[in-house]
Amino acid sequence: MAEPILSLRDARLTLSGNAGPVEVLRGITLDVDRGGTLGLVGPSGSGKSSLLMLMAALERATGGEVRALGRDLTAMGEDEAARFRRGNMGVVFQSFHLIPTMTALENVAVPLELAGARDAFARAEAELCAVGLGERMDHYPRQLSGGEQQRVALARAAAPRPAILLADEPTGNLDGANGQAIMDLLFGLRDRHGATLVLVTHAPDLAARCDRVVRLRDGRIEGEDRAGLARAAE
Amino acid sequence: MRVAFALARREMRGGLAGFRVFLACLALGVAAIAAVGMLRSAIAAGLADQGAVILGGDAQMEFTYRYASAGERAWMAARATAVSEIVDFRSMAVTGPEGAEERALTQVKAVDAAYPLTGAVELDPALPLATALAGHDGRPGGVMDRVLADRLGLATGDGFRLGAQDFVLTAILAREPDSAAAGFALGPHTIVRTADLAASGLLEPGTLYETEYRMTLPPGTDLAALQAEAEAAFTGTGLRWQDRRAAAPGIGEFVDRIGSFLVLVGLAGLAVGGVGVSAAVRAWLEGRTETIATLKTLGAGSGTIAATYLIQIGVLTALGVAAGLVLGAGLPLLLAPWLEARLPFPVAFRLFPAPLAEAAFYGVATALLFTLWPLAWTERVRAAALYRGAATGGWPRARWWIALALVLAALVGGASWFSGVAELALWSAAGVAGALAVLMLVAAGLRRGARRLARTRVARGRTGLRLALSALGGPRAETASVVLALGLGLSVLAAVGQIDANLRAAIARDLPARAPSYFFVDIQPGQIDGFRARLAADAGVEKVEAAPMLRGIITRIGGRPAREVAGDHWVLNGDRGVTYAETPGTATVTAGAWWPEGYDGPAQVSFAAEEAAEMGLNLGDLLTVNILGRDIEAEITSFRVVDFSSAGMGFVMSMNPAALRGAPHSWIATVYADETSEAAILRDLARAYPNITAIRVRDAIGRVTEALTAIANAVAWAAAATLLTGFVVLIGAAAAGERARLYEAAVLKTLGASRATILGSFALRAVLTGAAAGAVALATGGDCRLGGDDLRDAGRLCLRARLGAGHRRRRGGDDAGGRAAVRRPSPRRPPRGRAARSPEAPAAPAAVPRPAGAGPGKGGACPPFAPPRLPVTGRQRGPPSCPPSRARARAARRTAGPVPR
Repeated sequence: MAEPILSLRDARLTLSGNAGPVEVLRGITLDVDRGGTLGLVGPSGSGKSSLLMLMAALERATGGEVRALGRDLTAMGEDEAARFRRGNMGVVFQSFHLIPTMTALENVAVPLELAGARDAFARAEAELCAVGLGERMDHYPRQLSGGEQQRVALARAAAPRPAILLADEPTGNLDGANGQAIMDLLFGLRDRHGATLVLVTHAPDLAARCDRVVRLRDGRIEGEDRAGLARAAE
Repeated sequence: MRVAFALARREMRGGLAGFRVFLACLALGVAAIAAVGMLRSAIAAGLADQGAVILGGDAQMEFTYRYASAGERAWMAARATAVSEIVDFRSMAVTGPEGAEERALTQVKAVDAAYPLTGAVELDPALPLATALAGHDGRPGGVMDRVLADRLGLATGDGFRLGAQDFVLTAILAREPDSAAAGFALGPHTIVRTADLAASGLLEPGTLYETEYRMTLPPGTDLAALQAEAEAAFTGTGLRWQDRRAAAPGIGEFVDRIGSFLVLVGLAGLAVGGVGVSAAVRAWLEGRTETIATLKTLGAGSGTIAATYLIQIGVLTALGVAAGLVLGAGLPLLLAPWLEARLPFPVAFRLFPAPLAEAAFYGVATALLFTLWPLAWTERVRAAALYRGAATGGWPRARWWIALALVLAALVGGASWFSGVAELALWSAAGVAGALAVLMLVAAGLRRGARRLARTRVARGRTGLRLALSALGGPRAETASVVLALGLGLSVLAAVGQIDANLRAAIARDLPARAPSYFFVDIQPGQIDGFRARLAADAGVEKVEAAPMLRGIITRIGGRPAREVAGDHWVLNGDRGVTYAETPGTATVTAGAWWPEGYDGPAQVSFAAEEAAEMGLNLGDLLTVNILGRDIEAEITSFRVVDFSSAGMGFVMSMNPAALRGAPHSWIATVYADETSEAAILRDLARAYPNITAIRVRDAIGRVTEALTAIANAVAWAAAATLLTGFVVLIGAAAAGERARLYEAAVLKTLGASRATILGSFALRAVLTGAAAGAVALATGGDCRLGGDDLRDAGRLCLRARLGAGHRRRRGGDDAGGRAAVRRPSPRRPPRGRAARSPEAPAAPAAVPRPAGAGPGKGGACPPFAPPRLPVTGRQRGPPSCPPSRARARAARRTAGPVPR
């Protein structure tokens, strides 16, 4: 059996705050197969986004083990994790998080530049064209609509051809039509590049497009649906 | 790095809108330092450019108490194309009929026909000097400063007397070409012909005078080689050499010292600006949290991110520094005509790269110092901040601490190097750092206290107060930056104000209460009894102290060169007053024993106890003192208390009378009298003894105060730049918090708060922060003893440069001046400090009778007391000189007995 691209063993995350420590994730054990699509669903505060952040090495687990592409993410420092993400992971956020002082093209080119790609801008152009923004390359984020900004964010995440695409409620800030378009783009990119896709969503129709859906509650895995089951449930 | 540059370039497209405070703080600080440096360089260049004119020739040989010998004259004649002889001394100018005379102290410059060799004396009316000095109606002519003529009520054509010689005032002295090099003088100048003084009785034995021989040299003369040749040829003759390479060392030194002080004040201003810079950068970076976290998510390492923002700060710093340099260089150039007209020495304004480079260095180093800490924060921003706000953590890594330490070391090292007064720079840096540390603690305490107080009963029911306290203690409050900026700015102002007040208090308030009314110098031995008798009969006279005085240089201690034993102690810098006495009188002998009355054995000396301790002298040590060219070896047999702080009379050395038997000398006296009796005392004594020079202490204090006012004004301007920077920082802090305040006000209004409540709350928080900053400023700024001491030193230098210890500048500095600012402050130094002490009591000269027939200006005088030509090492000096700070600081603690040294 092939090694999972993402593997969590009893992963825990406890955050300290003014009111004392808060257990956000309470022992998650989960494997994600290479090339698959995984949806993380659950009510607010269930730990979906935190689990995604553990997988992206944006947050370090306070217990257990998190591995991606065979590497132990819990052993990585902030800089090492950043370097790891460069070529291996693309992250899409609900709030887009584009850099406001950069044009759409520059935003997409940044991860390629950081990875040392000489053809960063050419590839960024191609990626923007692929998401239908060939005409808006020189626009700044504030000159773009929410849907367009998220498309730029998608292009930016996909540009380095990462093995893993992580999306945190990518349609959460978009209306229905735009959300649908982004969903299509996201799955299209995943299909085109053969990446593993993990997405957090509240939208049942988006979750239904995943091969596998994991339900979280109170920081624990409550249950899991495989492809077909989810659609059948729908 | 390429990526960092690309990212930085894109980030900077946002423009400079958020950096106005950053740029203004940096530009103001750099401008103040650059302007001071430019002015300092302009003065130095003016002195260098006009060296020959200022000096009055290409080179000068100078002697104290004597004219040049025949050999010295022949040497000069063989090497110079022209030589001019000048005799310089103090005297009293007298006018009016007998019984109603007016008298004023004057510095007489007696010249020959060759004077001036360079430049021209400008007179009013515009006469040639030769015509003016020729006089008319059988009286020789004289010209004097307008201030002196006005004081005596003289107009051109009126008569006045110097000693027993009548002169006619033919013109007012408008400008002397060599006035800058002439150093300071307690009295304004009068110029007469030397030959016309023959019958004045002023240049008799016992008169302290100096002769200067200015030379015009053939083009291409190697001045250094000529100086070496002269000094080798006339070793031990008391020759002092000066040439156009450093025509006015006193002014140069003064300008350097006060310039360094002002630059350090400017640096404090830059530190205030640094607080604003730091706050601006912190606010800017906080606004970039999302971008930083996004970049980290995309794979940017913390190094790349720090470099990205460091590059941007570098560009901003370059802009701020450039603006400051333009301002700092441009202002002096723009004001050049105005400044040139007001400065008493030549100033050559042009663009000087060195002070601009110094200012740029300070600007860059300060910007770096105050931005490294906020920059380190970028490293602590975690990518998780994108979904979980304010995800920062931990202290900056070691490399940031190291970088901070290196920049701080570079800044302090640079300030020490550039200022030339390392100790002052280090103490200033420590002061600023200490003030910042205290202010940070106070800011933290204020926040914590406000938080606690907001939850207590005190605030309950008082909405305005509670809102103010909550705002002060809340997260992201501007409390820290306001307290830091305001506190540091006020501390600098308080320090400057304290220094100024101390100086004025010491000179104008404390000193007159203890100082004598008059110093009388040049009292001949035959006149002292009559002098005493007149004063004894006066009920208004409280006390008279008189002592014989000679001048001597300590050349050896225990057979070794004195400097090898006691280093550069001020007592060794030039000549000191030496007296003799049969008994210790009122002096307290602290160790050893005074010689018995009538003692006629080997020479003995009693030494000032404190100075002896500083110099490492012990009872039994042998001192070799060169007096008028003769070496006297005397054993130290006692130490005694000598107080230099009371502006009275005091001698470092007192010998047994037999040791100085036959040495020509005059007497010096201090008279303590009612102010109402002073005029009559002066009138009677001056009439009876026209050769005696009287120095009214209150007048001298007035001149000192004038000079100090000029210094205080200069410092106040530098401090004003600091305050202005502080205001910019405050405005920046206020602007940074504006959005938060608007939001808060809107929410409060929604909740029913009135405008008065909201305004009151805002005003209250401003008052609380201001009070905290002010309290720290009072505590830290008030402790400014070091600065005060050094400013006093600068003041002394100023006096020497402007008022003139007459002879001082020609001796290449004085006791304290050369080492003025290089002292550790005494922890318990009293506020009066050194400034409370007057210069050494005016030197009563040793008598230097000229041989019969050798009239003034003829030279060749050889004092009968000084047959052996033993080396006169060191630089001879005449009168006033201040003891060094440390010694005098200690002396200031005592109040007893007066002194010359």
